[in-house]
Amino acid sequence: MSALTSTQTRPIWKRLNWNVTTKQALFAYAILFPTIAILALFRFFPMLQAFYVSLTEYDLLRPPKFIGLENFIDLVQDPLFLSSARISIMYVVLSCVPVWVLSLGLAVLFNRHIVAKNFFRSAAFMPVVMPAVVNAVVWTFMYHQDGVVNTVIGWFGVDPIPWLRSSAWALWAVIIIGIWRATPYYMVIFLAGLQAIPEEYYEAAQIDGASAWSQFRHITLPLLKPTTLLVMVMSVIVAMKVFAVPMIMTGGGPADSTRVLPLMIYQTAFEFFKMGRAAAMSIFLFAAVMIFTVFQIRLFARGEE
Amino acid sequence: MKNILRHRSNLIVYPLLLVVAFIGLLPYYWMVSCSFKLNENMFAYPLQWFPDPINWLAYPAAWKAQDFTRYFVNSAFVAIAITLGNLLLASLAGYSLAKFQYKGRNILFLLILSTMMLPLEVTMVPLFLIIKQFDWANTYEGLIVPFFVDGFGVFLMRQYLLSIPKDLLEAARMDGASEFRIYAQIVMPLCKPALAALGVFTFREAWDMYIWPLIIVTKDSLKTVPLGISLFMSNFGVAWDQLMAIAAIGTLPMLLLFFFLQRSFIQGIAITGLKE
Repeated sequence: MSALTSTQTRPIWKRLNWNVTTKQALFAYAILFPTIAILALFRFFPMLQAFYVSLTEYDLLRPPKFIGLENFIDLVQDPLFLSSARISIMYVVLSCVPVWVLSLGLAVLFNRHIVAKNFFRSAAFMPVVMPAVVNAVVWTFMYHQDGVVNTVIGWFGVDPIPWLRSSAWALWAVIIIGIWRATPYYMVIFLAGLQAIPEEYYEAAQIDGASAWSQFRHITLPLLKPTTLLVMVMSVIVAMKVFAVPMIMTGGGPADSTRVLPLMIYQTAFEFFKMGRAAAMSIFLFAAVMIFTVFQIRLFARGEE
Repeated sequence: MKNILRHRSNLIVYPLLLVVAFIGLLPYYWMVSCSFKLNENMFAYPLQWFPDPINWLAYPAAWKAQDFTRYFVNSAFVAIAITLGNLLLASLAGYSLAKFQYKGRNILFLLILSTMMLPLEVTMVPLFLIIKQFDWANTYEGLIVPFFVDGFGVFLMRQYLLSIPKDLLEAARMDGASEFRIYAQIVMPLCKPALAALGVFTFREAWDMYIWPLIIVTKDSLKTVPLGISLFMSNFGVAWDQLMAIAAIGTLPMLLLFFFLQRSFIQGIAITGLKE
């Protein structure tokens, strides 16, 4: 009797279990489906279409005309596009490097005992809270020839700077805003990284008589390496996408000096209605973003193991 | 000795902190104080650090110059819809990826992650063409649906859900709870911190959205706050008092979000740097 039950129940139990696993897998697919559908429709499909549109001439009125690689050949010879690419690279380098240094510095500063820490930390964080468009509008006002920025630098004996009216200064004006807004963002990420470093390491180093600088150099920096890499990659990607501030503040001017790539794409597509050409530009931007994102995903993936 | 040393470093630390606070707060102070100045005093020499006389009229005038009531309703509706969409879809997808075994799971996860390299600035041209085909230009659908979910949210939820013990789910299954019930009544309540962080993060991004509405909205009745502000600047650029007033009003929702949900606000950012 008992032998009979065991031979009979086992397969049933097994089959039941198989059913449960299938049911679970079906459930898992079902709840993943909406996400996959939306991303496929609004991210992957547009990207594929971008490749097609980039091979055409398309002004939204007449149907797209296939012209092969002409857009790409035109672009690499177009001084305006090349200068826009150069401006984007300058923006990325000149805003990101200060952001890395300042955000790490602030994080270290806030990781120690400070009176009224909450107030200071919130004050430092406030730039992240300001909406991008408000940010652009308020800084345009502050950069006015007789505005507050020139007044403040005047306290240190610096002559007024024609921030937004000079092609030599306008990009710097945009970069300063970028630094102002991005620094506290990455400060928060660095702070989270710092707080994950066990206190004991520092205590041990103090017993050995290590100076504050050598503690930073030999404990903080090495242990913060994954966070630092992540911040570097993220900040570069974000900087490549800068749009609202140059769009609102300068419209790309004066003399094209702040026409970053996303702004150039926007204007080509929606002011000059050259969809094919704009799509070809997007592919250049995509290539740049992709290189850094692959790097970022590999960083994420490495953390998994 | 040690105390003196600490004291000495404080001589650098606190002035430095004051400078940081000054730089962080100056644009806010300037925006608010100038919204109460008379327009002719805007660039007075020497600069007025406190408005004198106080001008109370900029706020009502700016609010009425354009249909800002409508813009606020639009922004709130769009941002709330996008936030709810992300909370639901990202938590479902994250749960699926973190707690179930099935064919193709890792590839699907990588595909979802890879959407992070397709920012709007890259896909705006073809996405616009698709939305046009859908006849979704100048509609709420066009503003909302493409952003119902994104790679970051799924990643965040998955990472958080990985830390929830599997035994808990198995126990619920033993008790005969349905899969959906386990998700809704056991898993989600445990995810509150992650959901709060994702919600605040998404709301902030959605409230901030500028390039997309700029592309697909031309009808005044569908404009959002960022569009309204930038439009105000190009239409009445010299009415600085009103421009600062409307900028201040546009910032208020973010300020409230920050002060009331500070923890989640910061967590949403900090979490991007944490890799379990």
